[in-house]
Amino acid sequence: MRAVVKDGIAVFYPQGFLDGNSAESMLSIDDIKATENLKTDLVLVSLKKVIFFNKNGLEIFVRMLIKVRKANQARIGFCDYDIKKFNSIMNFFKEDLSFSLFNTLETASLFASSFKNKQKNVLIYSENKSQRSVMAIDLHNYGHNPIITQTKNEFDEKKKNSNSYDVIIENTHMGSMESGTISTRVSGNAIIYNVSSFLDAGIANSFNIHYHNNSLKAGFRLFIFEAYQVVNMNVHAVNFFSKLASSSAEYNATICFVGLSTEKTTTKFHETLEDSGIMFFEQLDTLLDDKKLLAELGASTATNIKDKRSLNKAIITQLPNFIEATVDTIKMMTNAEAKKESASIYTIKIQETENKIASSIGFYGDIDGMIILIFPKSIAKKACELLIGEETDDKELIMDSLGEFVNIIGGKIKTLLADNNIRIKITLPRTYDEVSELLTVADNRKGVQVDLTFDDDHFSFFLTR
Amino acid sequence: MITKDEIDNFIDKIPPAPKALKETIRLLVDGELMKAAKIAETELPLKMYLKNLVNKAVFGFKHEVSEVSQIFGILGVSGSQQAVYNYMLTLLSPDEWILFNLTEKTFYELQARLSANYNKILKHLNIVDRDIQSAISLIPASIIVTEAFFKNHIKDIEIIRATKPLDYNTILKRLSGMDLFDICIKIANKWEMSDKVSEILQTASGVKPSENKDINLIGKWIHLLLFYELSQPMFIEAGLNQFLDFQVDFVEDIYEDFLKIMKVES
Repeated sequence: MRAVVKDGIAVFYPQGFLDGNSAESMLSIDDIKATENLKTDLVLVSLKKVIFFNKNGLEIFVRMLIKVRKANQARIGFCDYDIKKFNSIMNFFKEDLSFSLFNTLETASLFASSFKNKQKNVLIYSENKSQRSVMAIDLHNYGHNPIITQTKNEFDEKKKNSNSYDVIIENTHMGSMESGTISTRVSGNAIIYNVSSFLDAGIANSFNIHYHNNSLKAGFRLFIFEAYQVVNMNVHAVNFFSKLASSSAEYNATICFVGLSTEKTTTKFHETLEDSGIMFFEQLDTLLDDKKLLAELGASTATNIKDKRSLNKAIITQLPNFIEATVDTIKMMTNAEAKKESASIYTIKIQETENKIASSIGFYGDIDGMIILIFPKSIAKKACELLIGEETDDKELIMDSLGEFVNIIGGKIKTLLADNNIRIKITLPRTYDEVSELLTVADNRKGVQVDLTFDDDHFSFFLTR
Repeated sequence: MITKDEIDNFIDKIPPAPKALKETIRLLVDGELMKAAKIAETELPLKMYLKNLVNKAVFGFKHEVSEVSQIFGILGVSGSQQAVYNYMLTLLSPDEWILFNLTEKTFYELQARLSANYNKILKHLNIVDRDIQSAISLIPASIIVTEAFFKNHIKDIEIIRATKPLDYNTILKRLSGMDLFDICIKIANKWEMSDKVSEILQTASGVKPSENKDINLIGKWIHLLLFYELSQPMFIEAGLNQFLDFQVDFVEDIYEDFLKIMKVES
């Protein structure tokens, strides 16, 4: 069974009866290896579709999840259960509860650094006082507003007024978690890296520089280091961030820190970082909510890069695979047949920008580059229907699903190239609800443009570096 | 990926029930067990299938049963009809399974387990009804249909499912407007099974409850039984645990009784 990944959380969805025999068959070593490679900050088993479980069944899952925790420092546990299931698990494991329990996936997502929506008002209750504190501290660190209740009566009373809270947490337990991981998420087209503990020379190893560089190529221009949980940093870390800021400046990109107060670094370090162009903000939400400031920092518009590299033979040879993956995925999701209209090697040309949305996704590994997809809204909406399950005009939902859809195209490309012994990794997709925004990144950039039609709707594919 | 035309084409190609089997079922319906056995005896593959089926451990017979007349005698009219429909379904199953890691043996095992355990449930519910008893035979048709439509899209489905936990039934429904159980009903219609069977099939999907209280109850039991079986290691390893969405809430009220009947220790 493979995990489903969204917003930095990997979730396994077993169904039916979970005992020692079935659990062994549900999760294989290959599944665990694949999960390790996902590098998510939370790995959970949803019990929503499990009607029966026993201790043996859960223990087998826990043993497997611990392997992921050791490899990735991810938080592991179970989610989506009712009070009866929660009590059973607590009873099975008593004092030996080394994993986390989240009553819902929504609760779990509050503890993921990749969760997009911050500042949730969260009502908390746990019989265990230290659990209440751990939850509150973690929630606070992740940018939420925890409201702790000390007694069950107080909790029940406050719960009656459920409209006052975004999320209500009960029947939840925080297990131990390794620290030191750098997780990544996208918010409003800014990339947010989460750093914690003491930052030293190790940052160079734990930070995925290839990913960062390819995100720059994919058009991202604002990178935020969320550093609420950083306690201090040394000169090696300062040098690392300074160099990162200098290299990113070539793309007109901005690097910011949030939550890194001057008490956490020496004034000298702070000044060195500022001199290299790094900016500091107290709160992530203040930054993300200020659309004007975000635009100034480059999160909504992106200037084109000076370094325009040419397509090389290795990429051009694979062009049919890129096209096939894209066409097949759209066909798979919409049942619409594609017709190739024209292909040209030059700069991107979009005839009409009205009623179109776009997305870009970078890839790196044996070959590197960027794919830009410009969709008529109708195709994007149709393609996303399979993921959403119904027709919708909700712009936010469509853009969110478009990201998932382009991720599926990226996954398909990865698979097709792997069949040809070419290994690549893909970045998170960036979405543009206005094509004009995309053009600021891609205009005048050389590449291959293939124009296609799907049921008479025009669609453009552009491959560049 | 999968179009309505492909589904229509698939349905068109479903063969009608072979003459000898139709005659066997007709005689069983009339209660003519011995006459039905005589015809079934001439159909060698059917005879082999029935022998193989009833001698599986799940049926719990101490001594090997080999003659069709003996088998029909033990199973009774309804049980025999159910067994013949089970055989008819195997005529639709692929020679080689690609999407699911199944073999002829494991597929027969699933049929046998579903039938034997379903019979226990019907006994518990005090239900003696030939159509109701036959309904279970069509349930594995959903697996055959999934195999037929998705075997050429394995990697695509893996990529979609890495992003969203969608089961095959939902994907098919969203792509074509028809779900697995709609197609199973077409099979039932082709085989001239009763409307009651079709209604039970729909309800057993777990997503279309019936307004008929009795049919709804049967649907619940079948849905839970299916997931009980799909939680067996053999079928999990075949990739069957995830093919359909399990509707826990739908079966919540019969769960405790189910555990007792299946002797599951909590």
